[in-house]
Amino acid sequence: MDSHATKKRKVEHDSSSYGTDEWTAYMRIDGQKENLKFAKHRTAWDMTSQDGQLLAEEMYKSSMFKLQLDELLAEVQPNYVKRMAPVENALRKLKTIIERIPDREPTDAVEAEKELYRHHKIAVPFTDPELARDVKYKLTYSRPTNINIVGSYALKTAVKTSGIISVDMAITLPSSLFQEKDYLNYRYFHKRAYYLACLVAGINEDKDCKFKTRFCYLNGNDIQPAVVISPSEDGGVDDFSSSRCDIRIFPTVSGDLFSNAKLLPDRNCVRRFQGSPGSTSTLAPTPFYNATLMSECSVIPYLKLFHDTSSRCGSFKDACVLGRIWLQQRGFGGNISKGGFGHFEWAAVTATLLQGGGPRGQSLLSPSYSSYQLFKATLQFLASTDMVANPLLLQTEEFGAPKLGVPMFYDGSRSMNVLFKMTLWSYRLLQREARISLDMLRDTVADSFEASFIVKADEPLQRFDLLARIPISPEILSQQRSVDHKSVTASFCQKLYQVLSRGAGDRATLIYLSGPEAGSWPINEPTPSTGSQPRILVGFLLNSANAGRVVDHGPPAEAKEEAAAFRDFWGKKAELRRFKDGSILESLVWSKESKTPIFQQVVLYLLDRNFGIDVTKAVTFVGDNFSGPILMPGASGTQTIAMFQPIMTEFNKLERDIRTMEGLPLQLSQISGSSPKLRYTSIDPPPSSGRPGANMDPADVVILFEGSGRWPDDLAAIQRTKVAFLLKIAEVLEESVEDITARTGLENGDSSIRNISFLDVTYKSGAAFRLRIHNEREQTLLERLLKSKSLEPRKREEAILAQSEYKRIFAQSRSHTQALQTLCTRFVFLSPTIRLVKLWFASHLLSRHVSEELAELFVVHIFLQPYPWESPSSVMTGFLRTLLWLSRWDWRLDPLIVDFSGEMKVGDINAIKTRFEAWRKIDPGMNRVVLFAASNLDPEGLTWTQFGPSKVVAARVTALARSACAAVKEAGLEIVPETLFIPSAADYDFTIHLSSRFSSYRRGKKPSAKHTIFKNLQTHAGQDANVDLLGYDPVRLFVEELTNLYANNIIFFHNSHGGTFIGGIWSPLATSPRPWKVNLSYSTKPMVSQEEADEDENPEEVARLVVNKTAILNEIARLGGDMISRIESKS
Amino acid sequence: MASKTPKPPSSINGYIVLPLQLQALPSFKEPAIHFLYLRRHEARVPTKDDARTLFAVNVPFDATEAHFRHLFSGIGGGRVDNVKFLGSRQHPTTTTTVEQLIASSTKGNNKKRKRDRMDQEDKAAGELPETWDRELHLSGSTALIVFVDKGSLEATTRALKLYGKGKLALWGKGVEGGKVPALGSERYLAHHTLCYPPSSTLQSSINAYLTTFAAAEAARARHLAQKRQEPDEDGFITVVRGGRTGPARHEEATVVAEKQKGKGHYRDFYRFQLREEKKKRVGELVKRFEEDKRKVQEMKERRGRFKPQ
Repeated sequence: MDSHATKKRKVEHDSSSYGTDEWTAYMRIDGQKENLKFAKHRTAWDMTSQDGQLLAEEMYKSSMFKLQLDELLAEVQPNYVKRMAPVENALRKLKTIIERIPDREPTDAVEAEKELYRHHKIAVPFTDPELARDVKYKLTYSRPTNINIVGSYALKTAVKTSGIISVDMAITLPSSLFQEKDYLNYRYFHKRAYYLACLVAGINEDKDCKFKTRFCYLNGNDIQPAVVISPSEDGGVDDFSSSRCDIRIFPTVSGDLFSNAKLLPDRNCVRRFQGSPGSTSTLAPTPFYNATLMSECSVIPYLKLFHDTSSRCGSFKDACVLGRIWLQQRGFGGNISKGGFGHFEWAAVTATLLQGGGPRGQSLLSPSYSSYQLFKATLQFLASTDMVANPLLLQTEEFGAPKLGVPMFYDGSRSMNVLFKMTLWSYRLLQREARISLDMLRDTVADSFEASFIVKADEPLQRFDLLARIPISPEILSQQRSVDHKSVTASFCQKLYQVLSRGAGDRATLIYLSGPEAGSWPINEPTPSTGSQPRILVGFLLNSANAGRVVDHGPPAEAKEEAAAFRDFWGKKAELRRFKDGSILESLVWSKESKTPIFQQVVLYLLDRNFGIDVTKAVTFVGDNFSGPILMPGASGTQTIAMFQPIMTEFNKLERDIRTMEGLPLQLSQISGSSPKLRYTSIDPPPSSGRPGANMDPADVVILFEGSGRWPDDLAAIQRTKVAFLLKIAEVLEESVEDITARTGLENGDSSIRNISFLDVTYKSGAAFRLRIHNEREQTLLERLLKSKSLEPRKREEAILAQSEYKRIFAQSRSHTQALQTLCTRFVFLSPTIRLVKLWFASHLLSRHVSEELAELFVVHIFLQPYPWESPSSVMTGFLRTLLWLSRWDWRLDPLIVDFSGEMKVGDINAIKTRFEAWRKIDPGMNRVVLFAASNLDPEGLTWTQFGPSKVVAARVTALARSACAAVKEAGLEIVPETLFIPSAADYDFTIHLSSRFSSYRRGKKPSAKHTIFKNLQTHAGQDANVDLLGYDPVRLFVEELTNLYANNIIFFHNSHGGTFIGGIWSPLATSPRPWKVNLSYSTKPMVSQEEADEDENPEEVARLVVNKTAILNEIARLGGDMISRIESKS
Repeated sequence: MASKTPKPPSSINGYIVLPLQLQALPSFKEPAIHFLYLRRHEARVPTKDDARTLFAVNVPFDATEAHFRHLFSGIGGGRVDNVKFLGSRQHPTTTTTVEQLIASSTKGNNKKRKRDRMDQEDKAAGELPETWDRELHLSGSTALIVFVDKGSLEATTRALKLYGKGKLALWGKGVEGGKVPALGSERYLAHHTLCYPPSSTLQSSINAYLTTFAAAEAARARHLAQKRQEPDEDGFITVVRGGRTGPARHEEATVVAEKQKGKGHYRDFYRFQLREEKKKRVGELVKRFEEDKRKVQEMKERRGRFKPQ
């Protein structure tokens, strides 16, 4: 096979390209050639279609997935030849400079430090200066034995990002500088710090040098200072700013300098807090310190390992790039503050697993895997292995690792725990992310490519259900102290995590802590300056079923030991209680009435108990403020659906009343809700009491009678028969049920074949329903009507309208309601999220364009296909992820497919996609079909999008979502949710401001608050709590009428949930002058342009028609009458 | 725009331009002028009323007969008899289907024609109550203004020629004060009320309709039954619906045909079938791959699809 040959060739090149010990400029040039060849391979790799197909089926998820991966890999690869040439140059220069730095005589520590500062203005970046000065050994500098380029740049797995690329340069220190015991008590690190300072001095001293130097911590580890070289930006020969890189120089030592056995994770190497250097076995182990030292020794061994692996396994590098992108999108990095798992760790894990890790010493991964298989297998490994409980020790003797309670992937060949920088919480997060991604990659239906690699999944607001910011004061930090090397912040976090994770129990599924990140600092200071007060950000992923639990059950009173521990942990909050089942348990009771949600009460209590009131007072929470705008503060999940309980109860009563009705010619077969109110998703939950009136809409209900041959075989007659039925039902209901009002109403007066009637049934409790009769014969009759070729166009239009309306209100709405009812009980936060999203659409005056069902589909999609996250457990994540998805949804190219059942097959999905593509082919201008939102209930995909949004409005939705996402990103944790709901009047050509009587209309106010709203209605019993006015909404009728009158020429925007103004945009078609035409659908004025009038004597001939905007606005003002306070026009 | 044309042309494309002053409103104070275009009506199919009819273009959306009456009397024109608004909100003749049914079934039948006339009378009773108190027209629509006689039309034409020298006529003058149903919230309240007609009215309208419909159906059934008996001049009997063994419904037939399809065939019996099947599968794979490739290419063209955020 052709592909086979190319692979072989590639392997040969790669094997010749590495030579790590000697780094020369010559080699780099050779490497560039290499690069060109590599690029060629990539094109050769794109084989013939058939081969590609067969390969893809086996080794990739699908051929589509493979193609996408290829594009991704090509996209992220920086151009090593063009972009990196300046930095190559600079690297060569640096090497020359470093090689000619003169040696220094051994000097006493204090003396050496002073000397450097005096002559070079360089502070030695000692970790613990006190300890460093108080020693007897001497510090010295001599020429490094080796200079290597390491890391992803050397491996060519660097990834183009918005930021800069770091090029790692490892300087091997001569072994002669160190003594055997230098691994103890930071001695190695002090010598190293001094060496680094001398190196910087030497670089800065050199007259050729124009680079800028600063110190930084390698991977945020504060015992490993390093030097960052940034470009001079002077445009000179050595300026490499065009490469958008910086160079990190860090020291390393040869792997055999120290005894590996002494640096095992269970050994102690820091003796400072223990008095005498007694037997090492009794001392607490210092795994972090040991591993840091080992990492210093294993830089070159790992470089070798990676080169070996990439020559053995062709897809290793690509797999590393994939892993790297995956980690990056989830906020992981080698830096301790980013979780301590970056591309180095990824590559190390993959490379090690290619050599071992499987059963019986075999390797877990095979070199013949494709890059995707390697990637997925590594994910699988990360997801399925718990390396805290079962530390993984490879190629090494057993030692006391399991007791340490840290994630352990011990690579015996290089004597290092690869995961040593990870904290317990970052490890749990990594596991979780790996598991989610794995599920997603296994999901044959979802598009997992974007979610895996493209979407940025680490925005805390979109990732965590609740965030707490805990400022840490120096006093708190000064109490922290540990044997192992650990910053005080890290120790604090450790304690915080222990407390929170024990206290939160099953309320939270994950707790993640992130602290401040240290940047680089100038070379005349020994440590980075701590600016403002640092803060710890705690992110919680909640378990929506448990988070709001009021009573916690502890151990039974008989279990003395556990009960004591429980009491000890919870203090006075713990109380002994007897429960209904007779058990006596230690328990905790939280306040249900408090404004603070229960989960926050738990967190605050724990902080107060463990860290004092000062910490507790300063804590701020982000997340619950998103439930503010529509929900009661502190409403927990169960309460939100409970708000709909009254109407659901009344609905059941209605069903009973109708079913028990006697005297109807046909038996009732089905009665089902089809209104947002009956599926927990209306913006305002229906009021639970009070007489119904203009303040509310009745909830739609569809009733279906048993089949009968006696229905007429004619559409218009069916509609009339329905009226007769409704009249009969009304009569019987009013007779048989007390306190009920039933009124038959008419709709769609301009059509005879659409549904023309409904029945409003109102109970005394305030619940109101609107019944429509479903007749299945209509469907066939409409189809037959549409098939007949002799139908005149106008009739055809009407029939099409009737058909789509039939499908919507009778067929789809019912199943949609049922599906959502089920989902809302399954996902506690679905209902409030949908309501918030609807409120968002309404606030931006999109009520008329984005139907309620469409908004519901958007949110359901976020809950059912939450990738790259899991289903939201808070309103905030649900809402923000919906916005993010809306901002990213390319509706021109992709349909929305919602799978309510979770049982859709690839075939179903493909069928929908085919239908979508067919629509796009028929109507590429998207004049008829814009958004395509299908589901397993509605594979046609147009039910909820047929009447809007139009292309312009859809683009506006995307733009609004984008700017909302940008605002969220910019504001970060300071986000004020209300700001996302403020409409802008600036985007409209004109705005129609409603007079105050009508603008506050329907904002879910209590009826009592609006006695005087309708002056003109006072004859009608004065109140809007009047059954006659049920569902009366003049503003909606006004906007509907406007839309009909100015159909194609003005787009109206309106907030049906209490907007104060209506926005209008002139269609560009209507605004250009055009020649005389009789049936233009807008008011015009004749116009003769000056030049033409001068040329031509007869102005009549050249007059054109222009839209008469002022006249139209006057018309609107006339139509609106007393409802409008003013119209503002831009031009 | 206005500065470019100090004065609009007095006529356009054979139409007289009639500028009308619009009442400034508290909510929209900008002075606005509406332009009505008028000419003598020339129907494609001439009728006797043509001579006294004006064809109006760009009728204001709220125009009523009263509006035009007052407008023309205001400028010294003739008296308006009636106004026919074209292209306004579609007003369905709710009984069309019945009418058609009857028409189709009663062609050339004298006795039936008499019935037909009776139906016409019933029609009004079968109508559902109107839910709007005043009809509005689409922006920019047209109307036929019929004057009482030819003289009135000519008087109007003369008046129009003089018009424009003096002050512009005010649109809607003379119809204020409840002569036509008001717009604004009152209109919508009225609509809301009209949507719930008294059940007795509704019931009688439905009864009337259904009676007519039943009668028509019966007539049609009779007619069809007759047709089934009568051979045409070639001696053939036309096949029509109904009857004991009438032709099946089309939909039912398709369903049955669908079921029959593919019965009694084996697809993997012969070797060539297997071979072809395999070939087809490979072909599909290749096709899908090509399609995917095209899709990816398309995505690539839209920037950002392959760039990690």
